[in-house]
Amino acid sequence: MTLKQVTRLLCAAAMSSALVSGATAQDKVVKIGAILPMSGGTASIGAHAKAALEVAMDIINNAHPELGSLPLAKNAGLAGLGGAKVEVVFADNQGSPATGQNQALRLITEEKVAAILGAYQSGITLTSSAIAEKYGIPFLTPESVAANLTERGFKWFFRTTPIAPDFVRIYDEFLTDMKAAGAKTDSIALVHDNTEYGTSVANTIASGFKEKGRGGVIDIAYAVNATDLQAQVLQLKEKKPDVVLMISYTSDAILFAKTMQSLDYKPPLLLADDAGYSDPSFIKAVGKLSQGVFNRSSWAVGPSGSPSAIIADMYKKKSGEEMDDTVGRQMQGFFVLVDAIDRAGSTDPAKIQAALKATDLKPGQLIMGYKGVKFDDKGQNILASAYIIQLQDGENYVSVWPKANGEKAPVLPYKGW
Amino acid sequence: MRRWIWLSVVAAFAIAYPLLLSSPFQQRLGALVLLYAIAASAWNIVGGYAGQVSVGHVVFFGCGAYAAMGAYAKFGLSPLFGIPGGIVLAVGLAAIVGVPTLRLSGHYFSMATIAVAETMRLIVTNTEWLGAAVGLSGPTVPRNIFDLSFLSALPYYYLFLAILAITLAITWWMTNSRMGFYLRAIKDSERAARSLGAPASRTKLYAYMLSAALTSVAGALYAMMFGFVDPESGLGILISVKILIMAALGGAGLLFGPLVGAAILVPLEEISNSWLGGKGAGLTFVVYGAIIVLIARFQPGGLLGLLTRRGKPKTDMSKTDTSKTDTGAGHAP
Amino acid sequence: MSFVLVQVIIGGLLLGAVYALFSSGLTLVWGMMNIVNFAHGDFVMLGMYVAYVVYTLMGGGPLLGAPLATLVLATLGIVVYFGLIRDIMKGPMLAQILGTFGLALLLRYSVFWWFGANFLSMPPNIVGGTYAFAGLRIEASRLLAGVVALLVTLGLHLLLTRTSLGSKMLAVAEDQTAAQLMGIRPDTMQAIAWAIAAGATGLAGALIANFFYIVPTVGETLGIVAFVTVSLGGFGSVPGALVAGLLIGVIESLSGYLIGAIYKDIVVYVLFLFFLWFRPQGLMGKT
Repeated sequence: MTLKQVTRLLCAAAMSSALVSGATAQDKVVKIGAILPMSGGTASIGAHAKAALEVAMDIINNAHPELGSLPLAKNAGLAGLGGAKVEVVFADNQGSPATGQNQALRLITEEKVAAILGAYQSGITLTSSAIAEKYGIPFLTPESVAANLTERGFKWFFRTTPIAPDFVRIYDEFLTDMKAAGAKTDSIALVHDNTEYGTSVANTIASGFKEKGRGGVIDIAYAVNATDLQAQVLQLKEKKPDVVLMISYTSDAILFAKTMQSLDYKPPLLLADDAGYSDPSFIKAVGKLSQGVFNRSSWAVGPSGSPSAIIADMYKKKSGEEMDDTVGRQMQGFFVLVDAIDRAGSTDPAKIQAALKATDLKPGQLIMGYKGVKFDDKGQNILASAYIIQLQDGENYVSVWPKANGEKAPVLPYKGW
Repeated sequence: MRRWIWLSVVAAFAIAYPLLLSSPFQQRLGALVLLYAIAASAWNIVGGYAGQVSVGHVVFFGCGAYAAMGAYAKFGLSPLFGIPGGIVLAVGLAAIVGVPTLRLSGHYFSMATIAVAETMRLIVTNTEWLGAAVGLSGPTVPRNIFDLSFLSALPYYYLFLAILAITLAITWWMTNSRMGFYLRAIKDSERAARSLGAPASRTKLYAYMLSAALTSVAGALYAMMFGFVDPESGLGILISVKILIMAALGGAGLLFGPLVGAAILVPLEEISNSWLGGKGAGLTFVVYGAIIVLIARFQPGGLLGLLTRRGKPKTDMSKTDTSKTDTGAGHAP
Repeated sequence: MSFVLVQVIIGGLLLGAVYALFSSGLTLVWGMMNIVNFAHGDFVMLGMYVAYVVYTLMGGGPLLGAPLATLVLATLGIVVYFGLIRDIMKGPMLAQILGTFGLALLLRYSVFWWFGANFLSMPPNIVGGTYAFAGLRIEASRLLAGVVALLVTLGLHLLLTRTSLGSKMLAVAEDQTAAQLMGIRPDTMQAIAWAIAAGATGLAGALIANFFYIVPTVGETLGIVAFVTVSLGGFGSVPGALVAGLLIGVIESLSGYLIGAIYKDIVVYVLFLFFLWFRPQGLMGKT
């Protein structure tokens, strides 16, 4: 009979699901869940972030007095919890909001994590943080920028990264300074993909620039993971904007650089909004074709011997890659979260939540170029900020703005190849 | 008689499952199996019984998902109101799409359905009102029980179980009706069926519309459970492929095939991801892909055929010319 | 203005030639064996990685990478045929989707496991820079791919229509039993067809690698284009794939320039659907 076999199969399926049982938490280990894209098109981000969090774990769990004022580095483990060690449980969101939510549930109920960090893509952060909210577990996103994330009235949700309104302020001030230095900045082209990141950031920048009295914004949208971008480059070539602002992921950023070279197009000032342009793969692939591109970044290596330079070194040993803004923000978010757990002196979610709300980190305690970390009622870090960096030699970004943090002076016009 | 005994054993197991395996993750896994079983059973009506391999069924899934989330996000209604809305949308779309495409043969029909689904995904991605690429969210903090936003998977589980039972009952009723008789005839040979006076075009269209309606219900339930839909998760072609694979893996054209497929693939996917996903080496999909390949290679008719002595569907179709040398996939070893 | 338009059309033609190039292998097996190969995009991806490995290990450019990619993929094609395709061909169409989709995941994530998920790229100007004349600019690597696309199409067409091997392959495609009675071994013919198709796909990948990025998931981006190209051209028609590829390339390029890039794929799909309405067998397919 058919149904007999159906029963057998169902039993087998049930038994296999019974195998998914969580290990009981060991003493003196604080588990933190990290939901990251570890397969699919953005998997390289997940791999880099994993290496960064492993470096952070090393810094926290072992004594690193050379890192100076960085919280948690000096002694081994968490002082507030009697030297307890931190363990990150990684989970793959597979680029799917549903999988992200399933994994958040598993981390909370099976792995018994004290808090969750995640989930890179805004849509997945949205669904997975909803589960954390229902269970009353702190959820911190170091990366996702969608505006609606902090507009949901959540009490357990925190975000350390700068978001689109911060970008508007940074770009506006930067372009004003460049104008003062003699560059033309009258017409600006916004080139962006049609993903949630590209569309929302471009919209915020367009309306923000309008408010600040910057006219002449040209909007050029394209479909993500394009097979061809010649038409867009030709449009730019024809419209001759003074500034081109690129809001693109790695795949399209590489293709844009190649296409701009083959069609011989160089805008006077090329400014990139982080993302693909920060990916070390971008520099390896087409850095030499993109000399002089400006980029937003909260990360700068700093002079050798400085904590950030030491961390960059550790990261390179671990992953073989140069440290970049994307992984830096991951690491910073993780430090903020663990610092709160340390101050809470407990893994009780409510105490961690209270500690997160009381967070007040100064720039000297951070690895990133934020003006500090302090959350508003919605959980957004109000002191998040960024530098502008430039790929002057086609191999390494150097920070060029604001002047106070600049290692070198900005070079204009855009050199290309 | 024995048939009824086994049916009640399965039903009893399905009802008792969340009590036997009561951790939140296991309960959710159970609910997900049922959800995908609903979608795959809905697909089975047109893809299995009618033999029209639609690879773009996600478009109907998306109708339901967007209607449910839209009801809440746009009109402040309970997502439940989206279910009838989604059904109307899906059936209407199925009629519009079905009339021209169902007359296409074999692969061309599959390709046309992919094109329809991709067009829809791109249009929604660029439509501000539907949330564009950002997507639409459901209620996170439920206002009342009708918002269907629960912490536990238990309510979802029993809701999905009831709807799966209804879906299977409809399918069973259909196969035993005149329509099922026509569908079998069409699947064997459309030309022969036509010459014997079976209304081939109309029957296929009805099956397509029925399948679309049920798929949209699955989409609406999916969106309610996860509280979110965006173009990729609601209209991405991978969702259709996943649904299709579940039905094919269990046994397309068999009443319980899709359920078996879902009961194997959903836990396989979630568990391999839980065990291997965090390593970040892509091993989840190496395992997943290898298992699918092995099943296709050694059991092309679906797993249900492997375990049933008379598993081979009586009306074995030679849809493709190359299947003339049919090995009788269903013969038990 | 019109000048830019000429550049847009040239760009579209070159793009279309590339589409045709990586679709020719798909149309061959689809038409000859009625097999939907969902792993096709991943064959292209493998070709790209072979070319990349040849470059990084031996410093060889496309002159070495392209033939090697052809050879490696042709071998893989034979292995896949005897290991999987021969058996799933006997099953229903669903088994073919199941099998080739599983194969796609297996290939994609094996590469992922071995090479990681980082974006890779061949060095710029590996084929030779950009030709400029009369203000128009053509990238050498794309031109090379375009020329090879024409040659491959011509070669496959001649093979199928002018050689005895081609007639034997077509005979098997037409009626296996009859072909067998005439002393043709279907297994051998179909294995050869798979070798040729996979080889052509590997060649396409190696040439595309010169101007595209390389990543394990790149097959997803390219695979669906190949599907549309092949069905527009007519399953099994190699010249059809060329015409369809060029058509899609130009339409994408023009609509991307004139209407907006986010709408160009919608234009292609809608035109494709309309086209199927009037000519359900594709551009050059048999009824």
